[in-house]
Amino acid sequence: MALWPRLTTTFKNLFQKTRDQSPPEVDPLEEELHAYVEMITDERIAAGMSASEARRTVLAEFGGIEQVKQAVRDQRAGVALELFWQDVRFALRQLRRNPGFTLSAIAALALGVGANTAIFSVVNTVLLRPLTYPDADRMVNFLRPSSLLADNLHNVTELHFFQRQTGIFKEVVAFDSGGPGFNLTAGRPEQLRGIHVTEGYFRVYGAPILLGRTFTPQEDSPNGGKVVVLSYGLWQRRFGGDSKIVGRTVSLGNESYTIVGVTGRDFIADPQADLWLPFQFDPDSRDMNHFFYVTGLLQPGITVAQANAQLQVASVEYQREYPNAVEANFTIGPLRDSIIGDARNSLMLMLGAVGLVLLIACANAANLQLVRATVRKHEFAVRSALGAGRARIVRQLLTESVMLSLAGGILGTVLGFLGMRALLSVSPAGLPRIGEGGSAITVDWHVLGFTLGISLLTGIVFGLFPAFSASRSDLNSTLKESGNSSSAGLREGNARSLLVIGEVSLALVLLICASLLIRTFIALREVGPGFDARNVVTMEMSLNGPLYQTAAGVSELVKNGRERLSSVAGVEQAAAAYWLPNDVEDATWFQIVNRPIKDHPYRSKWMSISPGYLSLFRIPVLRGRDFTENDIAGAPRVALVNVAFARQFFPNQDPIGKHLKHGMGVDTIIGIVADFHNSGIAKPADPMELVPIAQVSDLYTAAYSNIQPLFWLVRMRSDPHSSIPAITEQLRIASEGFPVAHIRAMDEVMGGSTARQRFNMLLLTIFGAVALLLAAIGIYGLMAYSVARRTQEMGIRMALGAGRSTIRKLVVLQGMRLALVGVVAGIAASFGLTRLLSAFLFGVKPWDPAVFVSAPLFLTAIALLAVWLPAARASKVDPMQALREE
Amino acid sequence: MDSKQANLLQGTLDLLILRALGLGELHGLGISRRIEQITKGTFLVKPGSLFPALHRMEEAGWLSSFWGESENNRRAKFYRLTKAGKRQLEVETEQWTTVALAISNALKAT
Repeated sequence: MALWPRLTTTFKNLFQKTRDQSPPEVDPLEEELHAYVEMITDERIAAGMSASEARRTVLAEFGGIEQVKQAVRDQRAGVALELFWQDVRFALRQLRRNPGFTLSAIAALALGVGANTAIFSVVNTVLLRPLTYPDADRMVNFLRPSSLLADNLHNVTELHFFQRQTGIFKEVVAFDSGGPGFNLTAGRPEQLRGIHVTEGYFRVYGAPILLGRTFTPQEDSPNGGKVVVLSYGLWQRRFGGDSKIVGRTVSLGNESYTIVGVTGRDFIADPQADLWLPFQFDPDSRDMNHFFYVTGLLQPGITVAQANAQLQVASVEYQREYPNAVEANFTIGPLRDSIIGDARNSLMLMLGAVGLVLLIACANAANLQLVRATVRKHEFAVRSALGAGRARIVRQLLTESVMLSLAGGILGTVLGFLGMRALLSVSPAGLPRIGEGGSAITVDWHVLGFTLGISLLTGIVFGLFPAFSASRSDLNSTLKESGNSSSAGLREGNARSLLVIGEVSLALVLLICASLLIRTFIALREVGPGFDARNVVTMEMSLNGPLYQTAAGVSELVKNGRERLSSVAGVEQAAAAYWLPNDVEDATWFQIVNRPIKDHPYRSKWMSISPGYLSLFRIPVLRGRDFTENDIAGAPRVALVNVAFARQFFPNQDPIGKHLKHGMGVDTIIGIVADFHNSGIAKPADPMELVPIAQVSDLYTAAYSNIQPLFWLVRMRSDPHSSIPAITEQLRIASEGFPVAHIRAMDEVMGGSTARQRFNMLLLTIFGAVALLLAAIGIYGLMAYSVARRTQEMGIRMALGAGRSTIRKLVVLQGMRLALVGVVAGIAASFGLTRLLSAFLFGVKPWDPAVFVSAPLFLTAIALLAVWLPAARASKVDPMQALREE
Repeated sequence: MDSKQANLLQGTLDLLILRALGLGELHGLGISRRIEQITKGTFLVKPGSLFPALHRMEEAGWLSSFWGESENNRRAKFYRLTKAGKRQLEVETEQWTTVALAISNALKAT
């Protein structure tokens, strides 16, 4: 058909809709059809039929004037659009006329969609959004799957070995993680995050360079000079965005560094950095210390699996070259996975939970829609008598439900997004890639598309079912019923009951999951960490300069600092170490003197501490003695071990007096300390050796000064924050000008270690509460509706002698039967589902009996409340009134 | 109803209406009668198909309409072919002839 006439008539039809809908005397279509009927009638009368007989037969053959009119309208150009507008306007009118229904449906959907939007916006930011690096899909991290080291740390010989595998990797670079930090000493002292990198780092990460250049290979070799690259942020903050900064010097820890370049503003550095320095590795180095991370760029066309296979083969060569190397088991994984880490599991759990919330919201809205469809049965019957086909009625109802779900979706998007931002600023969750307080979580097309998608889907899912059941109704009987509402159709009644049962069971699943996570969090809180964090303040100091490359320099600083700190008012005790007790990441290989090596040397955690560290944290020395000021370099080398160490390596022996041999020398065990959670609060204590900070070798001291800040620890008599200025001042004097950074109460540090569990718990609790609310509304709505419809029945029952309490019991029992069926189904489903949760649980079993008893009881109590209100109303029915009404 | 009457083939109705109006302007009942007559009673077009088709073809620009007096002095809506309608009649006639020939050849083939 020609396009233009069709378009113009479409236009005409849209704006002249009234043409065929105006009263019959001016409706040309009506007139045309009547003329047709009249003409045949005239002929039949002329042929001898009586007028009434003629008219009756003609009309019967004609097949219904309204139906023919509808058929004509339905094939008009633009009719789809016109009908759509008609549906929308009608739907708006319908929804406005029933504000109670509309608002409750929108509220339920907004909760469902909002929760989904909130979680999806986080999922989108953390999991879906591509990394900002240009070759991100070819970037891989080198891993240590079977390592006792807490992290994927590597050494120089490994790095150089990886760099030689040019068939697999286009480029391999190294970087450390924040390292010890640097003291910007000119002007206001500030500790900076300085990251050591190899020369290729900026190339592999595709870092944009705003000014100057990055390091040359010469600058990244021994004696390459002192050079730095600044980040955009530091350049703006400390140098006012000076465009002539390149070539100038910056003073770090009293040494001058030449600035060679500034990175662009958009570079999202991983790890975060204020400035970068070259590692300057010696190509012939045989340093076996693991202290940095390695990232590679795969050759084009090589997959991670192929690279891993080839690396496995090549590692034989490395083992030949370094026969003493242990753990020459090299693996790579996509950079993306390393960045995302275990956040994926948490987020998948949340997506599952919000999916359930959305299902409940759908069930709720569907129930409301079903109720309304029943009320509107008469309307639908009239409409189909007037020529509306079944598809037309279904479409009308779907338009209404989709409009509801879109309204709910818009409201939900706003709510969900604001809610998630608020939540993340309160509980940061330790999620990667989300920025400060979740600032990187923004609404983009993915989120909007997702929300629009689930809103439409929701509208269709909860609308379709009621729409079909409403349009199925038998026209004749409905019309005859003429608004009498004594009995709801059995089928629809069942459908509504099923929806309520479903809601209750889903809500119970969420409630049980939330309870398990709450118990997990409480259990984590109740774990004695093995040390006393109260009133302890921690702060970090970067030990820059040649003095701190020696054990003597560091131990002198520690001694001096401790003396100065103990003179500050309010300070009870002071100590220093390279690790906090809840997170010791270093480990060492060792042998026990006079015991043969079986397969390979033993391995345990290892840390050096100043005197006073153990007593400051109230970690008891169970046997033997603590370190003293006399355990210095030159004195006999001593060590303490924890109970886990003693149990594992000296099962039937007394460890005290035994000798441990490792790279630094031979230590004599002088005591056993109680276990404390040195690998995070959720894990048991690992075996660990402790040594005095003054007896560590210079090599190790230098390595530590280059990769880790020193922690200063102060136990206050009362409020930890009161004496901070005096403390930092004393430390500045002791170190001759170094600032301290990251001043935190130890309690705060401990809270941070359970941030993820807290986040999981908070979210699931919120979702559980929403689900409970929706389910309660669902039961309440169904019972209230059923009571309203059965007013007459109640009246008759009362007239026949039923007491008010009998009536109340009747309603309560009916409602509670549904709730209890839902509870049973929910318990059954939870038994299956909570197993998936076990990875998130701590100190509580997935089928914890307390949870499986209390959560259903709680839900039942809420259901009882929701049923009680309509039951009370039913019992107040006035029988005379009720019987007279119909 | 007469069981001999064939079902209208899809697309045949348009051609029949065009053909009926090719002989002169007619109102709805007239078109229906004319089709019955020219097909020798094989096709009997019911109002439920006739009127939607007429309105659709008018929108397509093949037909134009006007109000006039019927033979027994009733006000009725008359349809006539437009230029586009005449062209359409030629096009559809040609198509139909081709198809009809092809089908009858196919049926004769052994």
